[in-house]
Amino acid sequence: MVRKADLAVVGRDTPRLDGVAKLTGRAAFTDDVRLPGMLHGKIVRSHLPRARIVHIDTSAAARLPGVKAIVTRADAPHLFIGMHQPLFDATVGYIGQEVAAVAALDEATAAEAAALIRVEYEPLPAITDFEAALAEGATPLHPKAPGNIAWEQAELHGDPERAFAESVHVREDVYYTNPSHNCYAEFHVAVADFTGGRKLTVWTPSQTALLYQKALAAGFGLSDGQVRLMTLNTGGGFTGRSVVRPHHFIAALLSRKAARPVRIRAIADEEFLMCRAGGRSRYRFRSGLGRDGRLKVVEADLVFDSGAYVETQMILTRLTHSYLHLLYRVEAVRYRGRLVCTNNLPYYFHHGGGLAQMQFGWGQHVDALARDAGLDPVEFHLLNAVGKGHTTLSGSHFASCGLKECITKATRRAGWGRKYGRLPAYRGIGIGIGAMASGAKGVFRHDTSAAFIKIAEDGTMSLFTGLPDMGQSSHTAMAIIAAEVLGAQPADITVVSGDTDVDPLDVGAFTQRGTFNTGNAVIAAAGDARAQLARVAAERFGVKPAAVVFRDRQVFPKGEPGRAIALRQLVHDTLHSREGRFVMGRGFYNSPKDSGTMAYSFGAQVAEVTVDPETGFVTVERIVAAHDVGRAINPKIVEGQIDGQVFSGMSQALYEELLMEDGQMLNPSRLDYRLPRAFEMPAVEHIIVETNDPYGPFGAKEVGEGPIVCTMQAIANAVANAIGVPVQEMPLTPARVLRALAGRGEVSARTPPAPLRGRRLR
Amino acid sequence: MSLAKSLSDALQRKPVCHCLEKVVDDRGRDPSGGWLTRISGGRPAVLYSAGVGRRPPRRGSPLHLPTFDYRRPQSLAQALGWLAEFGPRAAVLAGGTDLLIALRQRLLRPELLVGIGALAELQGVQPCADGALRLGAGTPLTTLVEDPLLRVRLPALAAALQSVGSRHVRNVATLGGNLNLPTRCWYVNQGEAWRQARPPCLKTGGDVCHVIRSARECFALQSSDGAVALLALGARLELARAAAVREVALDDFYRNDGLAPTTLDAGELVTAVYVPVTPLRSTFLKIAPRTGLDYGLGTVAAAVAGSNRRVTAARIVLGSIGSWPVRLRGAERIVAEGGLEPATIEAAAEAARADLGELTNLYSTAGDKRRLARVLVRRALAALRRQPEAQAA
Ligand SMILES: Cc1cc2nc3c(=O)[nH]c(=O)nc-3n(C[C@H](O)[C@H](O)[C@H](O)COP(=O)(O)OP(=O)(O)OC[C@H]3O[C@@H](n4cnc5c(N)ncnc54)[C@H](O)[C@@H]3O)c2cc1C
Ligand code: SF4
Repeated sequence: MVRKADLAVVGRDTPRLDGVAKLTGRAAFTDDVRLPGMLHGKIVRSHLPRARIVHIDTSAAARLPGVKAIVTRADAPHLFIGMHQPLFDATVGYIGQEVAAVAALDEATAAEAAALIRVEYEPLPAITDFEAALAEGATPLHPKAPGNIAWEQAELHGDPERAFAESVHVREDVYYTNPSHNCYAEFHVAVADFTGGRKLTVWTPSQTALLYQKALAAGFGLSDGQVRLMTLNTGGGFTGRSVVRPHHFIAALLSRKAARPVRIRAIADEEFLMCRAGGRSRYRFRSGLGRDGRLKVVEADLVFDSGAYVETQMILTRLTHSYLHLLYRVEAVRYRGRLVCTNNLPYYFHHGGGLAQMQFGWGQHVDALARDAGLDPVEFHLLNAVGKGHTTLSGSHFASCGLKECITKATRRAGWGRKYGRLPAYRGIGIGIGAMASGAKGVFRHDTSAAFIKIAEDGTMSLFTGLPDMGQSSHTAMAIIAAEVLGAQPADITVVSGDTDVDPLDVGAFTQRGTFNTGNAVIAAAGDARAQLARVAAERFGVKPAAVVFRDRQVFPKGEPGRAIALRQLVHDTLHSREGRFVMGRGFYNSPKDSGTMAYSFGAQVAEVTVDPETGFVTVERIVAAHDVGRAINPKIVEGQIDGQVFSGMSQALYEELLMEDGQMLNPSRLDYRLPRAFEMPAVEHIIVETNDPYGPFGAKEVGEGPIVCTMQAIANAVANAIGVPVQEMPLTPARVLRALAGRGEVSARTPPAPLRGRRLR
Repeated sequence: MSLAKSLSDALQRKPVCHCLEKVVDDRGRDPSGGWLTRISGGRPAVLYSAGVGRRPPRRGSPLHLPTFDYRRPQSLAQALGWLAEFGPRAAVLAGGTDLLIALRQRLLRPELLVGIGALAELQGVQPCADGALRLGAGTPLTTLVEDPLLRVRLPALAAALQSVGSRHVRNVATLGGNLNLPTRCWYVNQGEAWRQARPPCLKTGGDVCHVIRSARECFALQSSDGAVALLALGARLELARAAAVREVALDDFYRNDGLAPTTLDAGELVTAVYVPVTPLRSTFLKIAPRTGLDYGLGTVAAAVAGSNRRVTAARIVLGSIGSWPVRLRGAERIVAEGGLEPATIEAAAEAARADLGELTNLYSTAGDKRRLARVLVRRALAALRRQPEAQAA
């Protein structure tokens, strides 16, 4: 096991390698791509939630000077963007669905031409409320979705009936979350060059070039190698950039037809129409407690509005099932998750992957359960929390686990004991706890990341990886890991990435697999290079290769730093040896499990809020966040990840909501979709807990999504603590908070309510 | 390439197409306070003609402007002449922070834009002989917010203007534009393609309202923050048209009508705002989802003369709640008669609910608006009560 004291680079604050380029506006994004002869595309979209397309008249558009290509269903009748959604369908199923597209010399002309395309529709009855879609006798919207249920997953572990019968207290709650939008800093954009129709090159922001490449290849009947995916800097992913979208295919199709590269980018409300974040969801939980305050059994019935097409959304039920009983030792679990077909746009998930959103409800349910039992929620968590060595009923195993440590440290720092139940009126404190997988085998048979490193004669190195950096600083983390193995400095390393013709394979930056999987691959590749160098050094020092130490750009025999030579010298000598070896290391990592992950991160956050009882406004005053990340490869960036997720969690908990009416978004703009700004950001205190995971690179686990699963529930619990009633629907807008208060019979209460508080068990 | 296209390019901060350089020379101040940096100059007033009528106005993507003529007058008289000549076919471009969005959304299709940003007659803050302040309608909000005189004498106005949009918006937005802000609603303030999902509404040439489905009137909200403060301060407007100038109390400028929210005539321009600086205390409060950037869910401005015990005059105005800024005459009376005392403040807040009359569920429910109104009035009056009375002397 790695000891912290032995680490030279890992665990120290390293400035991001791309920091200066980003701060000075030198970092290139897809929108900067300019190709000779490049055209600009514009998409024609359905303005009806459900309709049969009778006829498309493109003649007027085709006559407009500057128009170079128009595509409709006739150009791609058999092209699917996944398993189920045809690129251009004969019947549209949501407002904003792609119907046709045009490429022209400039964007304004393309827009004008798009407006000239006449589409004749025969409107069909639509259902946009998922509960109505589930109702008896509802119009079936999809031949493959009987009862409008596109996918259903049911799971059973243990004997829930018996466990409920043995419970001394059973509680049931229902929660809702509402549609949202990912709000990437970088809007949707794709540039495609499919000139000649034999090799397709696509520039686009992405969390996973591999999945994009495969989907595009499948759609166009190409082999993977005929698709080249170029990922420049990516301005945010938030789980929304792990699946290829219609505009990628349309740019390619237009390019093939026009025999010129085509760029499509989202402008104004298109950014919202192209988005595939979360839909409205309902979470029903029922749980039973034993006499000793232990959680015996959990039952969940979850329903997700998945919109008009279901592709990869089933991951929602798979994940919510296993996360339902990840945090507590329970005897029995019953789970049902359903994806419902509606005439809303296809919903996937927002930041938090559906899990943080479920935890908004689950965390409140558990809090209420604890209070029912007369327990302080913190006591309840500590009593029931899982620990190291635990295996859940569905087989997740925790080789390291700092959950209890996170709970203890966060609550201590937050002053929980002093504050819970003792704060003034309308001020509240709440806790949220969570866990998150570091990588999750299951998308493919493998969950492989590969890496390749070459060392130039001057000792500088190029690290090749297919892992994208979408702002999470993953490239810097990979450089740190390689530097640690090779005794170099991160600044000595150039990370080469973003071109599937060049990069070694990598499943990508989602399911929080980057640091864990790709990090392990980089260790393997750097280790391979190091072994080659160590052989030469060992000969020179007259020791075994295993006894050669690489540290601080120096190489020396173990225990004899006085004999050190420069790493650069060793590289030079290796190249100029009789063998003439140029050092190139390669390696890969794949989880040895059949499915799932080797490691989970854990965390706890305590939120303190103030509620204005007259206006319903919630202010988050402070968040204390403690997270077991295994090992912080780059502590400043770990803090940054926590900050970003606290922000997004707070934003989703209190502000973000796509207002939908009859399938149409009422607020498709950054003015009306209220993403908060820096002014709204609460003070965040970070506590990094290091449990040194036996399988992680230098002990590291993920920190890319663990924090956000704690935030929403912590805030919701704090609000319930402040006003004495829970708000069971997210976001907690002023109107919802006021309604909750009104339900309690005191809207502009003069007499403050007694804040909720738990008692000790006898 | 049309000027419209160039404008839209400029807005995307892309280099302006060089065909413009033939007709534009670069000199002096920017007519629109920063948006159109490259399009300025002392050349003939008609800078570019895209050939009105020869081509249908551009439709489609919200980023692209429709086709129009743009003229930049050298004097107020010239501006008024053009406005008279074109009447409703012309639109005034001040800071453009609202107008350019409205154009992209195809909410209006003027043949001619008259850019008034650089008119010296419309700039600045000047004290008048009677002690009032004259605020030029073309003055950028940032200039006003930072004006020391305004900050001290008219704190409600400074606070109101400070709350408009963001710093970037305020740097170019003008007072005249703020007072003439069109009413807003979630249906109409969308891109043209978006609106096609529903039939046109009363504002876009149809005969339905999508917000209040049974209504045959438009209930879009008036959200100008400046209007609320200036109404409370008892401001007057100077309106000019070719060969005529009139003055109108701000009270008579706004109408409770989402379709025609002001009494400004076609061809008329707001040239200045006169604000009396009679000794009074004033305050402005805005409740909005975020700190900055947002229109209010409700705003209030209140001004009183006299001491807390003896209020000699009171004006209380609510904004962002209906189609016009609403004077709360009942609440004003209570304060004027009973002074700024806890009991009268409570009574005035209660009276506000009745003063508001009919409300709609646009953006928030009528019930929430009424509740918010009461909170706003109570808080504003309490804030006034806390202000040093000495200022009133
Ligand atoms: C992100 C954002 C946030 C905003 N937030 C707010 C807010 O919180 N509060 C608020 O009040 N506004 C807000 N606005 C709206 C707008 O920016 C301001 O009201 C601004 O003051 C408008 O001034 P302008 O000079 O840019 O007007 P323009 O856009 O140039 O014009 C607006 C309208 O007024 C007319 N007009 C302009 N000047 C005159 C004149 N002298 N005489 C007659 N008619 C004239 C124009 O023809 C046009 O119809 C916001 C806008 C944006 C983009
Ligand atoms: S409120 Fe006015 S602008 Fe809005 S939909 Fe109704 S009529 Fe149209």
